[in-house]
Amino acid sequence: MALFPEIWQNVSKTVRFVWKVIADTIYAVFHDSGVITIFFVAGLIYPVLYGFLCWENTVKEVPIIAVDLSGSKESMEFLRKVDASPDVKIEYRCTSMIEAEQLMKAQKAHGIIYFPRDYADRIKGLRGQAHVSLYCDMTTFLYMKNLLLPANMVMLEEMHQIQLKRMNALGLGDELAYEFTQGAPYEETKLYNPIDGYASFLIPPVLVLIILQTLFLGICMLRGTFYEEKRTIYQANAHHFSHAILVTIGMALAFFIIYSGLSAIDLILFPRIFKNLPHIGDPMNILLFIVPLLLSTIFFSLFVSGFMHNRETGMVILLPTSLLFLFIAGVSWPQPCIPKAWRILSYFFPSTWGLHGYLHLNSMGASMLQIKKEFDALWILTGFYFVLTVVQQYLTFRKARKH
Amino acid sequence: MTKTRNKLGVWKDIVNVAKRETNIMFSRPLYLIATVVVMLLCCFFFATLLQKGVPERMPVGVVDLDFTTTSRNVVHQLNSMQMVEVKGHYHSYAEARDALQRGEIYGFLVIPRHFYNQLGGLKRPKLSVYTNNTYTVAANMAYKQLLMMCNLVSGALQLQVFTAAGLTEPQAMALIQPIVVETHQIANPKANYAIYLIGTILPGILGLIILSTTIFSIGIEMKNQTSREWLETANGSMSVALTGKIFPYSVLYIILGICCNTLMYKVLDFPVAGSFFAMSMSLLIYVCTMQAIAVLIIGLLPSVRTALSIGALYGMLAFSMSGFTYPAMAMLPAFRSLTWLFPLTHYYHVYVNEALLDGPVQNTILPIIYMLLALILPLFIIKRLHYAAVNLNYPTN
Repeated sequence: MALFPEIWQNVSKTVRFVWKVIADTIYAVFHDSGVITIFFVAGLIYPVLYGFLCWENTVKEVPIIAVDLSGSKESMEFLRKVDASPDVKIEYRCTSMIEAEQLMKAQKAHGIIYFPRDYADRIKGLRGQAHVSLYCDMTTFLYMKNLLLPANMVMLEEMHQIQLKRMNALGLGDELAYEFTQGAPYEETKLYNPIDGYASFLIPPVLVLIILQTLFLGICMLRGTFYEEKRTIYQANAHHFSHAILVTIGMALAFFIIYSGLSAIDLILFPRIFKNLPHIGDPMNILLFIVPLLLSTIFFSLFVSGFMHNRETGMVILLPTSLLFLFIAGVSWPQPCIPKAWRILSYFFPSTWGLHGYLHLNSMGASMLQIKKEFDALWILTGFYFVLTVVQQYLTFRKARKH
Repeated sequence: MTKTRNKLGVWKDIVNVAKRETNIMFSRPLYLIATVVVMLLCCFFFATLLQKGVPERMPVGVVDLDFTTTSRNVVHQLNSMQMVEVKGHYHSYAEARDALQRGEIYGFLVIPRHFYNQLGGLKRPKLSVYTNNTYTVAANMAYKQLLMMCNLVSGALQLQVFTAAGLTEPQAMALIQPIVVETHQIANPKANYAIYLIGTILPGILGLIILSTTIFSIGIEMKNQTSREWLETANGSMSVALTGKIFPYSVLYIILGICCNTLMYKVLDFPVAGSFFAMSMSLLIYVCTMQAIAVLIIGLLPSVRTALSIGALYGMLAFSMSGFTYPAMAMLPAFRSLTWLFPLTHYYHVYVNEALLDGPVQNTILPIIYMLLALILPLFIIKRLHYAAVNLNYPTN
């Protein structure tokens, strides 16, 4: 060290300066009730709230109406089996469709199962096809699945019995008849979310979004305040480009320190506490993924917040972006169906890559190799927004000095 | 005489405050950007994002272990379905699962080895369908198509066998499928995702905008220490000051709301089963209710920084609490009663009843009454706000 006193002096000066920026930023965060609310109240309470909200994961015992004009042993058997499923509950029995329709419109029930007069006759008649009609309330998509699934299961069960009877009547033995009824059977496996739980589908992306959006809005609020209150301590050496780099790094590190803990809680610990949430990923991998996820979001936020000249601007204008980021990422509405222009735009948001990467890791147990695309993209965005932030920071400093 | 003059005076004061507020609105671009620009952008975004309403060409994969003309025919037929596109051909289950985990496909079909031979020999070869239900909407769409394909294959084979045995086609069908389940979708016949989503999400966004801009417009008076001047314009009456302040925004929000409704029901042609008038009225009341709640929040916390944060937390919660994505029926009972605290819940109930179902009148009127009840909320904080406006003693951070 004695050989290069000047360099050592510079290094120590640099480190001390960055440390000062980090300390100042953290101090500012903890002395701002608005930012504390956004960072900690939202960052910690929201996940718990959502966890409880979707505790049940699926809808059970959806009330439905039975309209049984056939009134036969066969239709009653069918209804009994449908009623036995946990998905629906036959709440009303009507004698006409008009009556049933009124009940459905009044939202007393969310589905109708209808047997025409000739249902039993057609089954007994050994020939024709018997019809069952389902009327599903589509005001929420979940209702339909609840009615379709048990109705189809019962239908298949009943059908096989009828088929066997009919084959027997045609003179086929049981064994042969059985083979005929199953032309090419199939098996189905719903991977990663076998019961199609709504919580398992919605909560993991919401967790990521909570982390990213609180960070985004909080940074915008804080930087707006800095600008408004003309905190000039960082502008001493504004003619140096390296100065802008150091300030940017310092601020980013401060947010990174605060958020690495929060993200670990929300993204790793939380799904393990609320057991109905998927958590088959390797915690180390998720931890590794959080690094570029946070850094890219921090630099993205620092860049956007550079345009905020007032404390409130960010909150007032950018609040709805939470919904845009969620939908443009293509999690609920599938990504391939998103119009091309929006898809290209979405590649510039860390949330797009973050949401998919986290889902793949946490819900689908993907390896780091399998999320290489998302991981790399986040690092590229980190670099991209870092450069933009530094340039913008430099220009701001220079402008401030001129005044 | 004096009484009438007083009454007129109050109106005059309200007009004066409203005029002052309109000037403020145009003094900074922030107000119009946060309301008009943001709302129009959101409308444009969601309208173009969900243009098609129903997913198309979902990427799926095929693991063809048989590789005969029959199996290739199955793949070809699958690819010709409108909803799916065979994006990947894999040599093994492991390879397909890898693609699934990378997010390249939403599901895949495995055609077993000797499929063709077993099919011919009635040995019941088994097709396997796998879907990635992490992405529920996409997976269910892919699942339906893959299953339909399996049924087609099975049915075609059975039909072939039975007709070869001398049965007519109706006779054969009676054997293959003795019971037919017909599904009818009520209220959204095409299962259009846009109708299901946009009808509530746009009013929800309008609600967010109302919350943040209303809180901001009142809080900024305290922050900039102009609240005394504001109160003086209103002749010292807080209720007049609030009414005058909020009125220009009410007009603006209602215009935005009408634009939303026109976009949804006239341009995008969403169905309105019931009355368009009732929809417009409920939107109007929803706007006023959201304003009342915003006033309550800033009244309780007269510091713009905290109030904005709290308002944002409350506003964002409305999207999941209103029950339009996750039905209230499936929430824990304690949460089910909390949903009532969000005007979007009541608006959603009106939307379901009027736009989708055309249900009984009371299902429209009751939610509207609940929303109207919230209008008395500002009364509780008028004194508090008056005190804060005069003393300027709000916390600064």
